[in-house]
Amino acid sequence: MRFRSKLIAAALFVVAVGVLILGAGNQAAVRGAQSSFLSLITPFLKSGSALERKFTAFREGLKTLEDLESECRTLRTVNKELSATNQVLRGLESENNRLRNALGYRERSIFKLLPARIIGRDISTWFNQVTIDRGSEDGLRRDMPVLTEDGLVGKTTAVSEHSAVVVLISDESCKVAAVVENSREQGIARGERASSATTPMTSLFFLSKQAGLKPGQRVLTSGVGGVFPAGVLLGAVQEFRVRELDGFASLVPAVDLTTLQDVFVVVSQQK
Amino acid sequence: MFFAVLLSALFGSLVLQHFLGAVPPWGARVFLMPVIFFYGALSLSTNAMLVLAFVCGFFWDILHVQWVDDAMELGVGWSVIAYAVLGALMSGLRPLFLRGRWEVHCLFSGVATSVLVALEYVMLSLRREPLRFEFSPGIWGRILGAGLVALVLSPLVFVVLGYLARLVGHRHYRPERGEDAARGL
Repeated sequence: MRFRSKLIAAALFVVAVGVLILGAGNQAAVRGAQSSFLSLITPFLKSGSALERKFTAFREGLKTLEDLESECRTLRTVNKELSATNQVLRGLESENNRLRNALGYRERSIFKLLPARIIGRDISTWFNQVTIDRGSEDGLRRDMPVLTEDGLVGKTTAVSEHSAVVVLISDESCKVAAVVENSREQGIARGERASSATTPMTSLFFLSKQAGLKPGQRVLTSGVGGVFPAGVLLGAVQEFRVRELDGFASLVPAVDLTTLQDVFVVVSQQK
Repeated sequence: MFFAVLLSALFGSLVLQHFLGAVPPWGARVFLMPVIFFYGALSLSTNAMLVLAFVCGFFWDILHVQWVDDAMELGVGWSVIAYAVLGALMSGLRPLFLRGRWEVHCLFSGVATSVLVALEYVMLSLRREPLRFEFSPGIWGRILGAGLVALVLSPLVFVVLGYLARLVGHRHYRPERGEDAARGL
């Protein structure tokens, strides 16, 4: 009797796994299931993230009055500098748009950025991902670029109502068309398979053998491919090597992906 | 009742894992879910273990679906099989567990967690182009590190779950006494 019960259970298990594997062929169903599961855990992730932030704030809040005054002074100075730079850039943007218009190009606007918070780090060993607290309700869709004031972070992949998964540029599956600043060298930047949450690694492939890149040269997005806007800082060259068929450079990401907390999602790139 | 406790613990551990950073220097992850599952495999009937394997595998896979050019990198469902096989092996160690010996089971939890991580890496390497199996010290560090962390955590997890089992009046499944799956559940 016990053997029969086990046999039935095993058969049911095989059928259930079969249905699951076959059902996974339907992309819409998997995306739906992923989105629903993400929605299910989002409230817990948000609460946990809020707690974590409170704890960090409390720990960081234990500063002397002198430290706070000094920090306030620095922030005021930076704020003034940024406001001034912003004014100049707005002027340049308007001039740029006017000239592009005159040349018949499509007018470009400043990116529309949506601030987001990281509510969950990647739980996998092999994927470099984070979960943010914005979802389809906030206008997010798949393949939207994510960046910070320092540079490119990655792009959105799975999106649920109130949260989204962002694949980081240190992940092997995240490929970005890139250009080396002040040179004609173009290549594809992508993460390394050995890249981890503690040691994010990005490399630039398909460069010419004669590229001769120097350490410290900046690498920017080229805008080719349509997902990432052009001109966003990716990182700096760490080392250049010539391989059998192409040139290869290892990069130091511009953004510290290990301590990332707040990001911006580019929700619209053009008017 | 204990089955519901284990399910809640699995879900809770899945959420908690989002806040546990990687362990330096190689970036090995802290996996609590497999350890909880292995305790379930020891204390529940085979039928209940299979249900738990299905839930764990599904949770694991659905959270790890990575989309590249509108295609899934790893399919959904393979983890269920991996969990079921490892769970069945753990069930085989039940007699020793019922005699109050936990060392082998803790060791197995660590090894099996490493196996799960390694399996995922092998599948990923098969799926990604160019096809290559890079086994650098960093990769080994993450595979073995995850197992080592699970090995260190498993006694604590086993003690907590054992306490919860006693709290809800759960009796570990003993096949030689002919206890059926319903009691295991």
